[in-house]
Amino acid sequence: MEPKRYGITILGSLLLFFCMAATCYGIVLFSSLSRTLEVTASFKQGQVLKAGVDKITVTWGLNQSLAAGTDSAYKTIKVKLCYSPVSQVDRAWRKTVDNLAKDKTCQFKIVSRPYDKWNQTFEWKVERDVPSGTYFIRAYAYNSDDIEVAYGQTTDAKKTTNLFDVQAITGRHASLDIASVCFSAFAVLSLLGFFIAEKRRAKLSEQK
Amino acid sequence: MAEIEQSPGSSMHGVTGREQSFAFSVASPIVPTDTTAKFALPVDSEHKAKVFKIFSFANPHMRTFHLSWISFFTCFVSTFAAAPLVPIIRDNLNLTKRDIGNAGVASVSGSIFSRLVMGAVCDLLGPRYGCAFLIMLTAPTVFCMSFVSDAGGYLAVRFMIGFSLATFVSCQYWMSTMFNSKIIGLVNGTAAGWGNMGGGATQLIMPLLYDVIRRVGATPFTAWRIAFFIPGWLHVIMGIMVLTLGQDLPDGNLSALQKKGDVAKDKFSKVLWYAITNYRTWIFVLLYGYSMGVELSTDNVIAEYFYDRFDLKLHTAGIIAATFGMANLLARPFGGYASDLAARYFGMRGRLWTLWILQTLGGVFCIWLGRANSLTIAILAMILFSVGAQAACGATFGIIPFISRRSLGIISGLTGAGGNFGSGLTQLVFFTSSTFSTATGLSMMGAMIVCCTLPVTLVHFPQWGSMFLPPSKDMKKSTEEFYYASEWDEDEKQRGLHQQSLKFAENSRSERGKRVASALTPPDSTPAHV
Repeated sequence: MEPKRYGITILGSLLLFFCMAATCYGIVLFSSLSRTLEVTASFKQGQVLKAGVDKITVTWGLNQSLAAGTDSAYKTIKVKLCYSPVSQVDRAWRKTVDNLAKDKTCQFKIVSRPYDKWNQTFEWKVERDVPSGTYFIRAYAYNSDDIEVAYGQTTDAKKTTNLFDVQAITGRHASLDIASVCFSAFAVLSLLGFFIAEKRRAKLSEQK
Repeated sequence: MAEIEQSPGSSMHGVTGREQSFAFSVASPIVPTDTTAKFALPVDSEHKAKVFKIFSFANPHMRTFHLSWISFFTCFVSTFAAAPLVPIIRDNLNLTKRDIGNAGVASVSGSIFSRLVMGAVCDLLGPRYGCAFLIMLTAPTVFCMSFVSDAGGYLAVRFMIGFSLATFVSCQYWMSTMFNSKIIGLVNGTAAGWGNMGGGATQLIMPLLYDVIRRVGATPFTAWRIAFFIPGWLHVIMGIMVLTLGQDLPDGNLSALQKKGDVAKDKFSKVLWYAITNYRTWIFVLLYGYSMGVELSTDNVIAEYFYDRFDLKLHTAGIIAATFGMANLLARPFGGYASDLAARYFGMRGRLWTLWILQTLGGVFCIWLGRANSLTIAILAMILFSVGAQAACGATFGIIPFISRRSLGIISGLTGAGGNFGSGLTQLVFFTSSTFSTATGLSMMGAMIVCCTLPVTLVHFPQWGSMFLPPSKDMKKSTEEFYYASEWDEDEKQRGLHQQSLKFAENSRSERGKRVASALTPPDSTPAHV
């Protein structure tokens, strides 16, 4: 790249970086959120759900025993599928971190709905890209600035009770396996074919 | 100057080929051109090319060059193809960090052994079949990725694919049958560097393929398996091209090669002995483990690192990771050039200092890479780290030919194996356990690079000195002849077997730097550099 273009690229990336840095201004900590939502789901403790096949019904709503007006700021609810501590062991890419911007606990979105005072339900089929593991469900309440203000989850604070398992698809297909065997056989056989043919040709030319 | 054909170690002759400075071509008076031969390039009496025309595909010399480096490149692509897709694979196979790390170690360990075997295979069947056999027989292992369903299978397949990195040996061997030894250095250096680029190209190619396949409609856990078919097909295509378009010798005659190779002119046990009893061999085995070794380790971890640390999309992480490996295009030849330049003024001491500076700087930038908290700084640190490490690889092989003349092949082979061993070790220690994050692992690897580069200060040549010590004052020991002749015992000297080494000693006087009164490179062959 000529120096001018190179310089402009550097300036551009720096500008982009500063813009992105500006949006990080509001850091939300999970520990600052209040657990005001009640979230329940239709699975049984320890049930194994098959990805791409099984469905669960999730119900969420405000905890009715709280004072009125607690939910004045809530605009949207996002329900997410989250890893339990068991599935986070030795896997730093699923780590729980207090700073919600960096938190990797809940990586799959189940549904996003505008907030409603009354309980809402959603039937969710476990997606085919969900890995095998042990999960719980959490719902975050967002305000009009799209910042988390409250949450609720199907498990306790330590995330040890009422968990369910997902059995992922293998990703394997019979057609892939067959294609794999065919190409492998082709590779080996064509190699042997060439080798034998050349040896034979060499022998023939020697005999001549 | 007759070469001892097929003697142990000659299969690796010209691996580094730094007997003379890098040159694009050999001038005619030094090596007479065979005018009766009808080739696209001027050739010597063995019909080896005297000229290196990079952009030509002329049969057989340049065609061999391209077939050879592209085969090596393909094997690098398939060996590191899993690395940029790890974020998907780890979810599909439910891998832990330990599983991922172990598979990374396995991917570089297999070739330690396969490279040793490949030398023998090239001697027996010729480099064309050596290359074709390896690349075709490892194609099934690449296709096997579609069967993998757990950590054990993943590790086994990556281990088997890793065997294909032995194409390095067939590549260099094949070059040495096609190119005159005076330009073999540049040819082999270019082939090695461009082949290594495969480790970078794969970080671009695989996420791109994955994206395209997903767009066509496959789920993530199937798409990555389909993506692996492409490196597999490349293996098959290159294998067929090597078999149909390649030839072992300029004259295309394999049996003649075998006839020449029947008599081994040197004893393998002696060659091995002089290699392993020379302490410099082991220092360079260690050093290469921390230049080439860390390059291979980084190829395995860098895409996943950028994906996780900076929350990038898979193909963005791949693009960034690719720049690490692609720097090989220029960085490795640059290291060789820097070594040559230093040698012109300061001789071997200059080469040693150049190596130490390049490799230590690489280590420092690696420490910085792990510490970097912003994406831009991380990318900058990574690029500087790549240049340092890869240039150090080039500079290492600027020194290796001078360690021994008799055992060059084995020392080159041991050094190469040391690179893979170093890679396996660093991945095992820094990137397999969850005790510390990948970022910390990178910084610690950088610190280890700096420490493990220090032994280069201990490398001392009596005739040229070391980094801190001048050459020996002893009248007898301070000659190149004494050093190289000491690899032969009295009996062998009586039979005149050491003549080749004496010739080499005479040529190596250029390593005295400016103290040499007479220039050793012939006046009209200009050392040109990539």
